[in-house]
Amino acid sequence: MAEASAGGGAPPETSLSIALSRRAGVRPWWRTPTARRWVFGYTLLAPAVLYVGLLVGVPFLFSLYLSMSDASVGDPVARFVGIENFKAALESSTFYVALRNTLVFTVGAGILKGLLGTTLAFLLIQQFRGRKIVRALVVIPFTLPIAIAVLGWKWMFDSQFSVLNWALNQLHLIGAYGSPDWPVWLGQPGLALASVMFVNVWRGFPFGAIVLMAGMTSVAPEIIEAAKVDGASFMQRFRMVIVPMIAPILFIGSAFDTVFTLSDLSIVYLLTNGGPDGATEILPTLAYNTGIRGGALGRGAAISLFLFPLLLPAMILLLRTLRRRQY
Amino acid sequence: MSDLQPAQNDSTPVSRRGFIKAAGAGVAGASLLTMLDARQAPAQIKGTSLRILVWSHFVPAYDTWFDDFSKKWGEKNGVKVRVDHIPHLELPARYAAEFAAGAGHDLIYFVGQILTGQYYKNLIDLSDIADGLSKKYGAWMEGSKSAAQVAGRWFGIPDFFIAIPVLWRKDLFDSVGLGAPNTWEDLRKAGRLLKAKGHPTGMQFSHCNDANHNWRALMYGFGVKETDPSGQNITIDSKEMREALKFAKAMYDEGMTPEVFSWDDASDNRFLASGVGCWVHDAISAFRTTEDTNPKVFKETYCLPEAAGPAGRWNVGEPNVWAIWKFSKNIAGAKEFIQGISDSQKEAMLASRGYNMPFMRGQYAKPMPGLGNDAKLSILQEQDKITAFFGHPGPMTPQAQEVLTTFVVPDMFTRVARGADLEETMKWGVGEIRRIYAKHKAS
Repeated sequence: MAEASAGGGAPPETSLSIALSRRAGVRPWWRTPTARRWVFGYTLLAPAVLYVGLLVGVPFLFSLYLSMSDASVGDPVARFVGIENFKAALESSTFYVALRNTLVFTVGAGILKGLLGTTLAFLLIQQFRGRKIVRALVVIPFTLPIAIAVLGWKWMFDSQFSVLNWALNQLHLIGAYGSPDWPVWLGQPGLALASVMFVNVWRGFPFGAIVLMAGMTSVAPEIIEAAKVDGASFMQRFRMVIVPMIAPILFIGSAFDTVFTLSDLSIVYLLTNGGPDGATEILPTLAYNTGIRGGALGRGAAISLFLFPLLLPAMILLLRTLRRRQY
Repeated sequence: MSDLQPAQNDSTPVSRRGFIKAAGAGVAGASLLTMLDARQAPAQIKGTSLRILVWSHFVPAYDTWFDDFSKKWGEKNGVKVRVDHIPHLELPARYAAEFAAGAGHDLIYFVGQILTGQYYKNLIDLSDIADGLSKKYGAWMEGSKSAAQVAGRWFGIPDFFIAIPVLWRKDLFDSVGLGAPNTWEDLRKAGRLLKAKGHPTGMQFSHCNDANHNWRALMYGFGVKETDPSGQNITIDSKEMREALKFAKAMYDEGMTPEVFSWDDASDNRFLASGVGCWVHDAISAFRTTEDTNPKVFKETYCLPEAAGPAGRWNVGEPNVWAIWKFSKNIAGAKEFIQGISDSQKEAMLASRGYNMPFMRGQYAKPMPGLGNDAKLSILQEQDKITAFFGHPGPMTPQAQEVLTTFVVPDMFTRVARGADLEETMKWGVGEIRRIYAKHKAS
């Protein structure tokens, strides 16, 4: 207003409004502190989003495209076939066997890993001589290259030269080689599935124990002591104090483990390749043998995508529970 | 000063074995050089590089020979050769990746799982090499066309196939008064008599390559035809297939133990070498393993090219085929290499200790390298006359390939051996095969 008066006479209306707005400090929206915070935040987030988009989103969309096409390994020109590949999978009895085995494998191994991982975590947080060495030793199964570890187990489960059977035989728990009570670990349907699950558990439970240990060490000892003073038993302390406090870590660990187990191809592929007669066939091996070795990419992709509806509800449930606990 | 050095002792005694080894190495080296000198490669490949993807051979000595051959071939032709060996089961995934990327090795190799039918649109037509080789070394075996031809054109060059004969223990057969086996019935009887004495037999009822080949040998011997000669129509739903399944169940019940349900490709090698097995149906790698690890058992181990069934004698071989991607950066070099390695088939067969069986009739002239002078294996010198491949009598189509890789046939045998109803098993197996063929037809 002062400038306008100094100029003498009434200034045009537009000049006045510009001057007013400048003086009042009105800035373009992208220069506001809120916008700047958003831009800064999204810039920080962008690499992660890009990473997930490129390495997860694009392959997922590509699998979706393949599953609805008649693509084969040697034919880049694929026709759209709608849900034909999914229907073909559902028409095969082998698919249902693989689906059942996948669920048994994932749930069974998950429960065992949970139990053993928890027990191990409790043992490893105790003070005892050589704790560091023991802690280092128990993570070996998890750190060994999977192919080497599984080939080691293949020898231990060998039908003729199994060291397990030799030990059991020395303890007079089983008969001699060739007798009916000589277990054929990878040949009898129930035992074969149990064996591949066992190797998965052996390899995975140290990871669970480490996750739990990380959570447990974050629980203040005073809280545990207070619970003890209040008369809480060991199980009550675990169930009502420790688990609720480390729940976010537990959920994340479980989510990881479920994904890893459900999509675990290596153990079954190297030990039995799904045999005998589909006793250990799981969706990943069926998808691999159909899509890559058999060349029917479209049908292989459709089989592998059946894992998605299995995983999605579990992941949503876990993440929602986690979020609810955060607020 | 040199005069003061101790003189070389020229009179060091040379053992007979040492002499033969040294002489053999000299002859092999000289023949390799002669063979390499015999052919002059086109000048255009000089200064190029060639990337080759092959499997890890079951006979390690062959890989050593192959790598040496490749190196010398490269030096002679001015080509920088790089050879990558990977386990054969990983090859299909590798090819899928190379094809998707449109880049990779200049020269590739199909082992057992023959992917010519899947990839032929993206492979170089090698009919000129195939025709030239057949003029030089005699006609191609009928089965080789199934492995490498599509619509009459050669999109691959068959290198060799693996014969899978019967390896049997003479001492054990003698102990129960049996002579040399000739038929599947003889083998069944041997299993029955010798299992009782702690020497069962075994064939894989599992998800491995040998299971696919072994049970097909029995099937074809019983007259089973997987498809018609066109490879498009399934003919496995037959009386012959039912008979083969029944026979396999009897053979399992009488002569095998449940360990066969867990076997992989090497389990039968160990089973024979351990001295337990009375006979196995396996490649001669089992014979060689036994030779190297248990000389006592090896002394008593003999070979039968294949057991005869009611409809004849059919050995199911595992083929190996060269191919070149269209996107290969050195097509001329790759073609020249195929020509070179094919011209050295005799040396290759010798290096593989008789394992690599040739695909061309003329190469069966006796004595064959590695076999002809071996008292026990010379019997394999007519393997070309009895060998068929999966899908028989049809070609190795993509649908036959999918039936192979999803183990439908071994699973049918497993079900019946375990006591499943024969008709239910037929219904299941034929249904699975029909579904696979229908999908390929639709696409």
